[in-house]
This record gives sequence, structure tokens and C-alpha cells, in this order.
Amino acid sequence: MILEFMRDDHRVCDHLYTDAENALAAKNSDEAKRLFGEFYRATNHHFDMEENELFVTFEKRTGMVGGPTQMMRYEHQQLRAQLETMQKALDEGQYDDFFGIGESMMIMLQQHNMKEEQMLYPMIDRVLGGDAQLMVQTLKETA
Amino acid sequence: MFNQGLSLDQAPPISVVLRFFLSVPFFGVLFSLLLIVYPADVLIPNHPTSLSAMHLFFLGIISMSMIGSLFQMQSVLGGKPILSPLGNSLIIHLFFSVGLIALAGAFLFHLSAAFTIAAVLLGSSLIYLVRLILPLLFGGVTHDTLRGMRLALLSLLLTAVFGAVMANSFANESFEALHEAIRTAHYSLALAGWIGALVIAVAFQVVEMFYVTMAYGNWYKRNVFRTIALSLILKTLWLFLALPYIWVFDLFLAAVLLGFGVTTVVRLRNRKRRVSDISIEFWYAGMGLLFASLLSHIVYLYTASALYETTALLSFALFSLSIILGMMVKIVPFLVWFHLSSQGYLQTPIMSNIIPAKQNKRLFVLFGISSVLALLSFLTPVLLSLSGIGFFATFALLAYNLIGALRLYRHTKTTSPRMSMDFSSPS
Repeated sequence: MILEFMRDDHRVCDHLYTDAENALAAKNSDEAKRLFGEFYRATNHHFDMEENELFVTFEKRTGMVGGPTQMMRYEHQQLRAQLETMQKALDEGQYDDFFGIGESMMIMLQQHNMKEEQMLYPMIDRVLGGDAQLMVQTLKETA
Repeated sequence: MFNQGLSLDQAPPISVVLRFFLSVPFFGVLFSLLLIVYPADVLIPNHPTSLSAMHLFFLGIISMSMIGSLFQMQSVLGGKPILSPLGNSLIIHLFFSVGLIALAGAFLFHLSAAFTIAAVLLGSSLIYLVRLILPLLFGGVTHDTLRGMRLALLSLLLTAVFGAVMANSFANESFEALHEAIRTAHYSLALAGWIGALVIAVAFQVVEMFYVTMAYGNWYKRNVFRTIALSLILKTLWLFLALPYIWVFDLFLAAVLLGFGVTTVVRLRNRKRRVSDISIEFWYAGMGLLFASLLSHIVYLYTASALYETTALLSFALFSLSIILGMMVKIVPFLVWFHLSSQGYLQTPIMSNIIPAKQNKRLFVLFGISSVLALLSFLTPVLLSLSGIGFFATFALLAYNLIGALRLYRHTKTTSPRMSMDFSSPS
């Protein structure tokens, strides 16, 4: 339940990023800026959903505060910093830098997503059990 | 119960992975020299020089990179950390490298004692590796890539055992009645079980992840490793019992690999991410070589012609090299960037400045030319010599790129200001 919902959201973010990257590769910088803005907002919203709702509930139910969720928060911090750097590169017209930073951001983001989809979300699904549906509803309402 | 697989501490130090990657060009150059000096002998199946070249290639280039990658992948995909990765990788790398040099020398110079040394060192390093990683792949959340990694490691274990038995036969120059069965099982497990399964398992993750493609189909993912495992088990049994129709299992393996190749090409062609990336060319080249290998092998099954057997093996070797190089051009810059930025170095170079794109393009061109020459070498061994020169240049450039990345890593560590990292370590 959580896995499917959050995995789909990962894919939405991936597609927004590739649209922005493709637009910039096609030298359509205005469209790239708009699409990157969407990706930026969607990704930060995804991190917020996790940090403010999902991880908090998981931590309360398992008592695990310093475990996997803390590591995910740390990776969010790294990824947020990269998004800021990319935004700056885009605003300043440093497009080669944008692509270069985007490459590492993308691999890191995908590794991060992979850990969540293969390990953390299944754990959260198990912990939430029948309450997973309610959690998905709560997450949808944060949009 | 829950604290598995999500710690930064689980990413091994960069030296663990680079130790293996940096050895690849060294063995690549040795392999190339054999092609340059003894092209006619290399083309004869089961000739000692051919066996020397083959082991330098599949162990020194392909397995060396795959073992290095396993140390890294385990931290992301495996779910549990490898204990003492620095010490363990050092032992495995040392035994593996010395064992391989002994084996290549044993074939080349007919040294009985070297076969024994190779059997002990290569066998122990590979068994130790499997013993180290395989138990970590059980007991947690399971996914298809994990299943593929399990199959690959089990195949590697059996390959090593059969290899050690054969090395003992070569050392004593006494070949038991089952030698041919053991030899066939050895290379079937190595090619389809170790290399094939691991490439497919990794592709399930990285193709979708790096290029934003559709995921591989669930039905295929669920059944591919079962089919490979079952085909290999039955083929091995059939070999040892000397039963007929062994080729049926090769057809199953070929079908699975063909399915993988076609699906991968379709996924890549329809990928969402369209920016120029040389690693995609390596994937396309790899799939083309895989198709050539499968076709040649099927023709060989019906004609028993040594030419097709050699072409099938050569194409499969080049397929695996293409995938390895394609992954290295992405992973090495990422690892350098990741380790520097995770340690808080403020002047961490961006990936595209760690190994410039034009260097990677040159690598692809050299690889492509060398591969074409190698595949045409059935016309004349001179082409294999020329291919050897091309591969020599390919591996020299790979060494240059890898050493350049390592130097940049060290330079940044000594010159860049560092942000204080106050993230408390996860439990």
C-alpha cells in the first residue's frame, strides 16, 4: 500500500526531472526551468511527506529513532543541497554544470529510492498493517 | 528486525572498490599482449595459450570488476553490510590476483606447480568471497536482483570448485574420465550462471534507474533466475550422467538471454531520459554482441564447427566487457563524487569533470574497433593481433581514466576545505 503509493510518486519525480533535462538538452531553457521547478517542488514535497508523516509514525510505532529513517533524512539533506546547486546553475545559465550535477543527483536519488522501495517501505507497510490505507489518505491530503 | 540495509556506514571505503577496478587494466594489458604475440594459438579452442588468455579475460577483467562491484552493490542492494570490507577485500584481491597470474603462467609455460598454486589461491579466494557475501543475501527483504546475486554467487562457487579440480588434473597431467563433463559444466556455470545472472540482476536495477525506462516485466523477473538455475542444474547432471540431448538446456539458456537482450534494447530505445550518455552505447553494443554470441552458439550446436564455438565465446566475452566498461564510466566518477561529498569536501568536482565525456567516448571507439577486429579474426590471425593492439590501447586509456579519477580524489582531499559533518551516526 505505502510501497505502491510512494513508488509511484518516485516515478512522477523521475519523469519530471527527465522532462526538464530533455528540454535543456533541446536548448529550450525556459521550458527546462519551468519543468525543473516542478521537479524541485515535487521532490521536496515527497521528502516532506516522509519526514513529517511517514517516518514519524514509523518511529513512534517501532521506537526506532536513530535507524533507517535517520539515514533517509540525512540523504534527503544531501539531495536537497544538490537540488539547490542545480537550481543555481540553471538560473545562472551554467548548463554544463547543471547536467554534471544532475548526473550525480540522479544516481544518488535512484539509490536512495531503491533503498526505500526495497527495504524501508515494505517495513513500514508491515508496521502499519491495516492503518496503511489511512496513512495513504493522509499523505494525499498533504498535496 | 528493522535495522537493515540503510546505513551510510555500509558503503565501503572507496579503496575497496577501486582496488579491483584498477587491476582490470593491468590484466587487460596482459590479455592484449597474448593476442598480439600469439594470435593463431589464441584462436584454437582449448590450446594452452587460448586458455591462458581466456582466464586472464574472464577472471582478470570481468570477474575482477564484478567482485569490486559486488562489494559496492551489497551496501545498496544486499541489505546487510559486509564485515571488515577493507581487510576482506585486501585478502580476496591479493589471493585472486596472485592465483590468476599463477594460472595464466601455468597454461602458458606448462608449469605444474603453478597450477597447484592457482588452484589453492583462486579457489580459496572465490570460496571465501562467496562465504562472505552469500549469507548476507538471506534473511531480509527479498527482491529479484537479490535472487540473481544469489544464483551468481552459487554459480561462481561451483565454477571455482570445478576449476580447482581441473587445475589439479593439469598439475598432475592426469585427466579423469569426467574431465570433459567438468570442463563443460565449469564454463556453462561461469558464463550463464556467474556472468549472465549477475549482469541481468544488475540490469534490473540500473537500466531503469540510470536511464528512466519502464521496469522489466514481472513475469520475466520472476522466472529468469529459476530458468537459468534449473537449466544449469539439469545440464550439469546430464553432463555427468552422459545423457543425450544436452543441447536442450543450452536452448533454454539462450532463450532467457535472448529475452533479456530484446527487452533491454526495447527499454533503452523507449527510455525517458534522452541526454547523450556513452554508457548507453556500451549497453547497445553489449546487447548486439550478446545476440551474435547466441546465434553463433546455436549454429555451433547444429554444426559442431569450432569457428562458431570460438565466435560464440568471443562475442559473449565482448558482451560482458561492453557492459562492464559502460558501468565503469558511470560508477567510478559517481563513487569519487559520492565519497568526497559525503565527507564534506566543499570543492568536490562534479561527475563530468572526474572523467571527461570525451575520454569515455574514446574508450568506446577503441573498444568498438578492437571488438570488430577480434570478431573478424577468423579471416586471418593478423586481425587478432591488430585487435590486441586496440585492446592494449583500450585498457591503457581505462587505466589513465581510473588513475586520473583517483588522483583527483586524493588532490581534493588534500586541498579542499571541508564542512564539519555533524550528523550523528545511525544506530
